[in-house]
Amino acid sequence: MNTDRIEREVVIDAPIERVWSALTQPASVSSWFSNGNKVTIDLREGGVMALDQGDHGAFQTVIVSVSPPNLFSFRWASAYPDVLATEDNSTLVEFTLKATPEGTVLRVVESGFDALEIPADRVQHAGFENHSKGWTGVVAEFVKYVMANQETALFDSP
Amino acid sequence: MSNVTEVLTALADPTRRHLLERLSIRGEATATALAGDLPISRQAVVQHLAVLDRVGLVRGRRRGREHRFIVRTEPLAETVKWMEKLSQQWDYRLSVIKQIAEASEVHEHATNSSSGQESRESHE
Repeated sequence: MNTDRIEREVVIDAPIERVWSALTQPASVSSWFSNGNKVTIDLREGGVMALDQGDHGAFQTVIVSVSPPNLFSFRWASAYPDVLATEDNSTLVEFTLKATPEGTVLRVVESGFDALEIPADRVQHAGFENHSKGWTGVVAEFVKYVMANQETALFDSP
Repeated sequence: MSNVTEVLTALADPTRRHLLERLSIRGEATATALAGDLPISRQAVVQHLAVLDRVGLVRGRRRGREHRFIVRTEPLAETVKWMEKLSQQWDYRLSVIKQIAEASEVHEHATNSSSGQESRESHE
């Protein structure tokens, strides 16, 4: 398992422009990313996409790239509600769109988990869904390591 | 007892992760032996082990006069599940985008064919 990034993709039976709209228009971002709550988007490089995820908090993601209809990326400080995302406190979420004979391939890569440091005092105060995302890298690396050692260890918990 | 949040909080400390790594390599070890592996005192090792013990990541056993520790992986299995969930959240989001994009195509055809529709705020 790569500890720094999550990569997923889906093939969509719709033209690339329509996928772009579904990805970037406030009403649909609200559906896929904000539990139906209000979203405001200043759709340009450096613009803010503000999400209200209800109980999980409000997030000020910062748009990194807007290149319709192929690339949309932003920084998401999922451990820091209400704080503007910066390179130090966030992961990079990058959507790429590609037209193929099968349909539009929409790919998402969330990266930067390994570099993300969540101060211990934040861990306790942040809600689980919020802070937990930042731990993927550290934990994945660690779990892999310990599990591997465990397989060769002679003891089994009785 | 332990849940993912508690486990992650326990693992927030790099020294504790290092400690757990060393213990997993040794298989079974005393606090004294572990202190030999790390640049911290035996007393500090004992404190870190107590934190790990609370969330179920280690367990102590008495062997004669020695108190030995082992790693327990059950709480880690839970965190593995949680990591899978992170990926699933993206799968879910992508599926919502897919639904919207595929449905709006249908919608587009529908509005095109019924021209009496009130004009929408923005068409592409």
